[in-house]
Amino acid sequence: MTRYGGLGRTRPKKLTSKASIPIVREHEIDIIDDEIQSALQQIETGVEKAEESEFHLQVAINAAAQGKDKEAHIPTREVILSDIQYAKLYPPVFSQPATYIRFSSTVEDCCGCPYNMNDEDDVWLKNYNSKRDASSQCSEDDFEATMNFFEETAQAKQPFAAVDSPPVLSFADMAESMDAAVEHCVKRFAKDVFEHWKARRMATENRSLEPSLKFETGQETDDSDPFVCFRRREVRQIRKTRGRDAQSAEKLRRLRKELEDARQLVALVRQREVARREMLLMERTLFMQRNEVKEMKRKLNIKDDDEDLINQKPKKKAVEMPPRQPPPPQLRMPSKPGVQGAEDLQLLEDVQAEKENEILRDIKANIAKHIKWNEGFVDHTRAPLSPSPDRTFDATSFRPALTAQLPTPPSSESSGDAVDSSLDVTSPLFSKERLASRALELHDEAHRMPSFRRRVGRGGRLFIDRRNLVARCRADLDPLKADRYKYDQEDSDEEPCYSTDAYSIQIMQHRAITMAKAREQAAVAAQAHAQAQAQAAQQRRLQAEQAGNAQVANPAPTAPTAPSET
Amino acid sequence: MGPREPGEATGTPDPVEKGLATINTITLGVKAMVQKDGELRKAEILSIRERKGGLSFYVHYVDFNKRLDEWVPAARIDLTQEVEWPRPEKAEKKKAAVTKAPSKNAQKQHRADSREVSSTPDAFGSKNQNVAKAPRPSTAGGKENRDTPGADVSMVGSEGVSVAGTPKVLDSEDLEMPDAPLKEEVKTASGEVITREEEIERLRTGGSMTQNPTEVHRVRNLTKLQMGKYDIEPWYFSPYPDSFSDVDLVYIDEFCLSYFDNYRAFERHRSKCTMVHPPGNEIYRDDNISFFEVDGRRQRTWCRNLCLLSKLFLDHKTLYYDVDPFLFYCMCTRDETGCHLVGYFSKEKDSAEGYNLACITTFPQYQRAGYGRLLIAMSYELSKREGKLGSPEKPLSDLGLLSYRRYWRETLVELLAEPNREAMSENELALLTSMTEKDIHETLLVNNMLRYHKGNWLIVLTDQVLEEHNKRMEKEKVKGSRRIDPVRLQWKPPVFTASSRTWNW
Repeated sequence: MTRYGGLGRTRPKKLTSKASIPIVREHEIDIIDDEIQSALQQIETGVEKAEESEFHLQVAINAAAQGKDKEAHIPTREVILSDIQYAKLYPPVFSQPATYIRFSSTVEDCCGCPYNMNDEDDVWLKNYNSKRDASSQCSEDDFEATMNFFEETAQAKQPFAAVDSPPVLSFADMAESMDAAVEHCVKRFAKDVFEHWKARRMATENRSLEPSLKFETGQETDDSDPFVCFRRREVRQIRKTRGRDAQSAEKLRRLRKELEDARQLVALVRQREVARREMLLMERTLFMQRNEVKEMKRKLNIKDDDEDLINQKPKKKAVEMPPRQPPPPQLRMPSKPGVQGAEDLQLLEDVQAEKENEILRDIKANIAKHIKWNEGFVDHTRAPLSPSPDRTFDATSFRPALTAQLPTPPSSESSGDAVDSSLDVTSPLFSKERLASRALELHDEAHRMPSFRRRVGRGGRLFIDRRNLVARCRADLDPLKADRYKYDQEDSDEEPCYSTDAYSIQIMQHRAITMAKAREQAAVAAQAHAQAQAQAAQQRRLQAEQAGNAQVANPAPTAPTAPSET
Repeated sequence: MGPREPGEATGTPDPVEKGLATINTITLGVKAMVQKDGELRKAEILSIRERKGGLSFYVHYVDFNKRLDEWVPAARIDLTQEVEWPRPEKAEKKKAAVTKAPSKNAQKQHRADSREVSSTPDAFGSKNQNVAKAPRPSTAGGKENRDTPGADVSMVGSEGVSVAGTPKVLDSEDLEMPDAPLKEEVKTASGEVITREEEIERLRTGGSMTQNPTEVHRVRNLTKLQMGKYDIEPWYFSPYPDSFSDVDLVYIDEFCLSYFDNYRAFERHRSKCTMVHPPGNEIYRDDNISFFEVDGRRQRTWCRNLCLLSKLFLDHKTLYYDVDPFLFYCMCTRDETGCHLVGYFSKEKDSAEGYNLACITTFPQYQRAGYGRLLIAMSYELSKREGKLGSPEKPLSDLGLLSYRRYWRETLVELLAEPNREAMSENELALLTSMTEKDIHETLLVNNMLRYHKGNWLIVLTDQVLEEHNKRMEKEKVKGSRRIDPVRLQWKPPVFTASSRTWNW
């Protein structure tokens, strides 16, 4: 611890920042200045290590340490009074307001036209003006405005001119962007000034005329180029204490992107519609002109009327149509290319047909090729996925199996099998074909019948569901097709259902029997259940009695057998 | 702290190849003796150009600040003495190729080490500093200025001498040195590339604004500056448009700080420009000066112009990144033409490391007139308003160090010498001055005011500092006080929410 004045043998007390230190004058203490110098050496300067040893700095530090601030001077480079006309350049226009100044205009706001003409411009302008009379002189301001317009337009049209050095813009390009916002003086002198501007741009390899800083260009060379400055910061300043802020910023950013995308989509749609409208209009004018040609021909008696008549038709339509709703393009496509005979107008149609044919041929060839490729292979991927064309979820194409299914025997497990067998096997009357056709008849009548379904609920409870379904009318269904889809019921695995005449004696009989059977079964089951419960209750009661508990257990609820309607 | 003799630095780690040279064999990186102010100084050749029929050389005087670098004619180089040749490039390349991966690490470590040494540990108030402290934590933000302390180590060729004070250099096995200095054409292969990548990487991830090693040693690009009533010689490189390197005089508009390489253009600009003071709000006004607060985000062009200008006088400032996260406090003198910018300091809107100042400069035409002290005083006045302790960002420049040490000493002595003060803790001093306890402690040590005497710590007001203090007081009485009056400061610490920083709301 040489820092503390050579007191190596007694380690000094630790000095905390809160500790109050007595303040004394130098004469009040004994002098111990053993190792001032070595103490000084220990203290960091905060100066770049490599520069700490610089000669002038060391001299100055030492002078300061000895209290000679005057001598603590580091030589710097020269500053001299300039010989420019300061008063002319900086006019005395400043008057200090009584209150503190508040100001938010930017440099750009304060500088007027950003282009400043240089000597070269000056020469050109003087020369230019000397050739013109007093009324048509180009002022310096006008000149700068014009140059600025060129510079800005070039920047807008060739934003990467500094990187890929495209050719200098032509005057036509410039004229293109001269809209109402451009000042009059610019338009007035643009043509004359342009050549000068172009010459200067050529001289600088189409770089901006005003010297500009180098910013990022996204190129590899950026990093090592010391002239590239003021890069955007990649690391956003996000306070670590508020992760939420970062999150919400992220969310906003995403939201913004999504909205931007949506906007883009809408813009594209609009663009498409505009293009379509243009196309239609174009077609329309094309047609009108054709028509005129024809009319003319008719007038001149070149053609016979028949062909013209055929062409008359679309023309009428086109005229009748409100302009907002141009007829679909197909309507105007001549159905037969041959109709229009030997006219040259025919050619387009021919070409189109040719193209069409070509495409078709191509497709056919492709199909053939495909088949050839797939020879010897079975395509399992296609079949199950392709729906039959008629089985869409259209109201009319819906198979009426649902309504037919209702009067069929219950789907409950208990009796289903029995019914199945009875239906399928025992009676030839139940042959599916017949049932199906009957069902169809039934539907043809558009009969509205109440339908029932029986099912067994929990605890052997029996339900009969009743529905008043409107039978779907399927007048267009031919029996052949119906037959084809007879077994095509989707849920046929679980609930086979058959179309039957609900009022046929046989079926009614069967129904009565099966219902009775089922009821019987259910009753038996319920009884057994009730017994079991009663037994259990008794047992519990016994246990309770044994325990001396007077509590009476609730009697077990009896199983309901009455059919309920839903 | 005795001045280190230049000769002391000859303990260079590697043997230096020496030999006689002629004008035509002198290459970049050669160190030769050059006439300067009537004496011979060792200087490194940084650039060579042909002018007026003869060769002229851009030289850096070893152990002198870079602002003294200059172009010298061949006649000033003493060729009767042996010159030091730059280290051969081959070896460097080979090394880089063979030990690419490990050397990268080593470099990093070396870099980190040297950084620790020169950067001040930022745990304020901790007195028992640990030199081996971890490098400063990185910020998400970034300093406006800041060069890496490690950067100079990699200074071409000259590192052996200039860093000789640091023991670290002695294990110079992996000293990274692009042998070929600044010239574009001598881009060394892998070795330098790695360094460069590291630099950039640190710029991106760390907050520190770093200069790349080649840039550090760059040749000054502007010859002369015309600003206001003065012609000023720039000190360092600044990334003005590269075409400016070719002109003799660059014109700077005193108010909007725009730059021109053509007088006619400058004149035209002046006839249009209406700006008469820094484009911000005035926060302080007294009889002599005004302070304006300018937001880097809202006044991007102006602040960029300001940074370009101040880079001419600040070596360890880099303009790698944009000015958005900084506020610029600009000090002006007033007259009938407007408010003339005298100096400024920049301050991070949100400094994670407790810095109350990033860059500070008084422009050369106003230097040595006490303005620097006012700038520093204002930075502490702002910290007082914020209720924070603050310290300037490191590294300091040589001039910065002198100014700060002087301000710190005077401020402390002024407080301690007040009548009836018998004892004070460093903490109390910190609260009164907004200086960090660490800066206070070091200032006391530097001035030999903190002593361990008979088992107790004492603050000793030495005769020397008291005398200096009294002189200053008397001078103030005569000339009027030059200090910041807190009453005149109309300023509330600006609040920047995350969204306002991100979205400019």
